[in-house]
Amino acid sequence: MKRLWLFLLVLLLPVLPVQAERLVSGISNDSIEITSSFAGERLTFYGTIAPDAGSGDRVVQGPFDVVVVILGPTQNRVAREKTHNFGIWLNTEQVEFSRFPSYFHVLSSKRLIEIADINLLNENYILPESHAMLPNPAGFMKTLQFGRELIRLMSQDGLFGVQENGVQFMSDTFYSAQLTLPSSAPPGPYIAQTYVFKDGQIIARKSEGFAVRKIDFERFLAQSATQFPLLYGICCVILALFTGWLGGVLFRR
Amino acid sequence: MQIYLPIAELSVNLFFLVGIGGAVGFLSGLFGVGGGFLLTPLLIFSGVPTSVAVASVTGQVVAASTSGALSHYRRGGVDLHLAMYLILSGILGAFGGVATFSILRANGQLDLVIAVGFVVLLGFVGTLMLQESVRALLKQRKGVVVRERQANQHSWIHGLPWRVRFKKSRLYISVLPVLVIGLFIGFVGSLLGIGGGFVMVPALVYLLRVPGNVVIGTSLAQVVAMMAATTIMHAVQSQSVDILLAFCLMVGGTAGAQFGAAAGQHLRGEQLRGLLALLVLAVAIRFGLSLVLTPSDVFSMAVAR
Repeated sequence: MKRLWLFLLVLLLPVLPVQAERLVSGISNDSIEITSSFAGERLTFYGTIAPDAGSGDRVVQGPFDVVVVILGPTQNRVAREKTHNFGIWLNTEQVEFSRFPSYFHVLSSKRLIEIADINLLNENYILPESHAMLPNPAGFMKTLQFGRELIRLMSQDGLFGVQENGVQFMSDTFYSAQLTLPSSAPPGPYIAQTYVFKDGQIIARKSEGFAVRKIDFERFLAQSATQFPLLYGICCVILALFTGWLGGVLFRR
Repeated sequence: MQIYLPIAELSVNLFFLVGIGGAVGFLSGLFGVGGGFLLTPLLIFSGVPTSVAVASVTGQVVAASTSGALSHYRRGGVDLHLAMYLILSGILGAFGGVATFSILRANGQLDLVIAVGFVVLLGFVGTLMLQESVRALLKQRKGVVVRERQANQHSWIHGLPWRVRFKKSRLYISVLPVLVIGLFIGFVGSLLGIGGGFVMVPALVYLLRVPGNVVIGTSLAQVVAMMAATTIMHAVQSQSVDILLAFCLMVGGTAGAQFGAAAGQHLRGEQLRGLLALLVLAVAIRFGLSLVLTPSDVFSMAVAR
């Protein structure tokens, strides 16, 4: 919760008056629907950097860099380590990361370290590692090690990623970025946070939300399983008995 | 064609699911077993979360055993009295199994216990079956007439108290071993996502001396009832039964089982048991290796609830 408040606070911080640019942006879909044939979906983020309404400027002076951060719903994740004991491998150590993003992708117009200072990126949770560096009861060194491994595992599953050529500039001020959300992307509210950098500083930012949700039959099944588990279980059994019986009848065993 | 599984929250190829369901169904029809011991590991190795695999296969085992149980029942091959004792104790065992399942999942030791369980149980049963079938095959080659075991041989088990008469099985035995077998299979079956038919049948035959004509039917009836109860328990306790996953497996499984049963008629009993023993041992060895060999990645992750 604390992080969310911090996050909102950062969003609400007034833009310093010396900055004369604003960001006008949009997303191709504001909701992604999971149906039975859902196999991932492509999203486009686009926008333009325009002069601020209050400033008298007609044009903005670049060059700009744009970073789009896509953040999925948070979960509590555990990272576990197997060690060799008595001849077999078993999980012995684990660190739990509470409120860890279930999905995190960064798209940028060039290499992140060339865009801004690493501390500035970390402060704004733009790097994957910044999510694993929060204080944790497991201790600093262990958190660092397990956090790094967790991010590696999430990246292997396509849930974390950094694409440093993910944002293309169509003109000096108009950009677009594409992201393919995998089918394993967890359902829930997503936030797309767009940052405009100039000379290593954030000069404009904007956040937009979109939702990934199960609809129709998928939604019905998932809801029944969590809200009416007993009924759901009984239905599974009836379905199984019926299928088994029908199989026997059809094939005359 | 990809299909999205709403509880597992991932999309899998539909033909792959129906295909493995069918292949395992074929083997289960061939050998007269539920096939859970093959299906659960196959799903785990293909990326389905362990808890979802175990709970959903439980539902598939119900479907796979239903048609067999019904046809045995029509032929009078089910001792309902004996089955009732096994079912009641089995459900009690399943309560323990499902509770243990949740605790282990929270501690991150579920995969380990499932792997160890498979190695011990399948290794033990597979070795026994292989020994027995090799001996039978060798004897047959030498021309010795294989004698069926006597149904009325007595052992210490028959001397226990609380004896009950099971008319259909022509048995007058203590209920204690019956209840212990039911409890054990209920516990292990719900923990590992297997019906336990391949443990139940030898236990009924060798320990209780249940006659051959009611063994399979009674065991199947017990598997259906116990696995149905376990499915509901998994749905309530861990909410990890994926009905869509289970249904795809059921469709493939029930169809495959029919072809398997037809193919089984061309093989002799000892040969079938020998092949089944090899299959069981292969799964045990696969799990054993995963425990002993250095894993490709010592780190793993999970969503904590």
